[in-house]
Amino acid sequence: MKKYLLVARNVWDQTLTYRLNFVMWRVRIVLSMLTMYFLWLALLPENQTILGYTRDLMLTYILGTSIISSVVISNRSYEVGDEINNGNLSNFLLRPINYLSYQFSRDLGDKAMNIVFSITELTVLFMILRPPLFVQTDLGLLSLTVFACVLGMVMYFFINFLLGMIGFWSAEVWAPRFIFVTLLTFFSGGLFPLDILPASIFSALSYLPFTYLLFFPLKIYLGQLAAGEIIRGLIISSIWAGVLFLTVKYVWNRGLRLYTAYGR
Amino acid sequence: MDAVEVKNLKRYYKVNKKEAGFAASLLSFVNRKYEETKAVDGISFKIGEGELVGFIGPNGAGKTTTLKCLSGLLYPTGGTVKVLGYTPFERKNNFLKQIALVMGQRNQLWWDLPPTESFILNKEIYEIPDDKYKKTLDALISLLDVSDILKTPVKKLSLGQRMKCEFIASVLHSPRVLFLDEPTLGLDVVMQKTLREFIREYNRKYEATIILTSHYMRDVEALAKRVIIINHGKILFDGKLADLVKKHAPYRFVKVVFSDKVQASEIENFGEIKSFTYPEAVISVPYKKISDVSSEILKKFPVEDVIISEPEIEDIIREVFEEKK
Repeated sequence: MKKYLLVARNVWDQTLTYRLNFVMWRVRIVLSMLTMYFLWLALLPENQTILGYTRDLMLTYILGTSIISSVVISNRSYEVGDEINNGNLSNFLLRPINYLSYQFSRDLGDKAMNIVFSITELTVLFMILRPPLFVQTDLGLLSLTVFACVLGMVMYFFINFLLGMIGFWSAEVWAPRFIFVTLLTFFSGGLFPLDILPASIFSALSYLPFTYLLFFPLKIYLGQLAAGEIIRGLIISSIWAGVLFLTVKYVWNRGLRLYTAYGR
Repeated sequence: MDAVEVKNLKRYYKVNKKEAGFAASLLSFVNRKYEETKAVDGISFKIGEGELVGFIGPNGAGKTTTLKCLSGLLYPTGGTVKVLGYTPFERKNNFLKQIALVMGQRNQLWWDLPPTESFILNKEIYEIPDDKYKKTLDALISLLDVSDILKTPVKKLSLGQRMKCEFIASVLHSPRVLFLDEPTLGLDVVMQKTLREFIREYNRKYEATIILTSHYMRDVEALAKRVIIINHGKILFDGKLADLVKKHAPYRFVKVVFSDKVQASEIENFGEIKSFTYPEAVISVPYKKISDVSSEILKKFPVEDVIISEPEIEDIIREVFEEKK
């Protein structure tokens, strides 16, 4: 266990080595959040609903996606494909360490960092701007939101890891990933709330893992889901997390047989 | 028990081939041709515990591929491999804790962080107890003389310094089986010698099994009693280095420096004349006739100096390769 803790901590050490990069990264996140906020603030008329959402709810949704996606979607495991292709994977195969757990620890380290700094920045922004946002106070719903985010994070990690493992079969890992990420942003509700889509499409989407990455946790936070819907969503995403995990294991074992440890 | 047991090991690669030129690039885009390369093609050998074996072969002979199969990186196309009783490819933790693969061009250290961070990570990965870690690390640091660079980020180190740190990181867990692939690559002469002594010492002290590949025949000569010569994925010779010399070099070079004029025709019948630039002649003489020939030369000619030498190991190896073509 201790080794994986150390791996997570090393992500901090590594990131903090590049001071300018680090500061710029944070500035970029704050800036993009502010532009989004002001854009939608200007667009949305007060005291009116748009697509069934009041201004406060819509603003909360838009800002919420960018916060949750920085936790759920932001991900380092794009390294997997590169490490397979440049032979760096050998370093891990030679040592008694589980590569999947290793990447997951790095991911968690990265996310912990993201969360710590996001919370600080958000608190400051909130105090300065006093935005008209919807604040959920129900502790039960809040913890369910966190739980749904964790499930989403796990699913996204596995999906990303699977995409990286294309590297075992082809050197061209970037093109499929790029297309996939574009589609994913749409289907996860990163652009707009998915329930404004036609009901039939929306219900079909609800059987896929994507809606559970951003849309689902946010809907729980906004308090717009009935207890039954929440339970159904949590069950579906748990099943997906399990299926994805098994797929990752299977593909990993197949891929390793083809691994050629190039270049090293 | 044998530490390493390899039976009929095969490993093939699929490689795509392309002629030079843009037309060929287009053709390759539409219709890609693959060819199978037999990197290792049915080799078998056994290595006893505590043995130090040199693995020799030209570039692309299959040395590294064999080592990668032995350390569990590659899935063999055919044959069986056992190391310490384990099947390497299963990569059981108990197996991985007892082996190490050191490659001259490998980079396992965190690029952005000082080497110490990587050492600590390996300590945790291999679950090395604190006191043992400290002892091993101190010994390695003083041996390889790296105490002054431990706090410098790896990316700022020179190639040689980095190699030393890679080496430390690789053997921190005191492996019982050590696969060394060109470990002296890029090191200066002094460091090569230090590392060589370290390997010998490591082999002796821990009775570790070591397989060593190197382009520097000096490394192999200095360390290994037994050598395995491999080319095109097949074993050409497996045995004692001394036997190899006897078998493939049943002759000695006699270098004579004359003090007075001597014609080439006069020394012709002693053996094959390798070179003759007055006053120096080098004659290749069959091993068994060496004492007769040298005494006769001394008797017959005005001689200033005579040196009898073994052929260079490099020449012998080259002979083996050319013979089996």
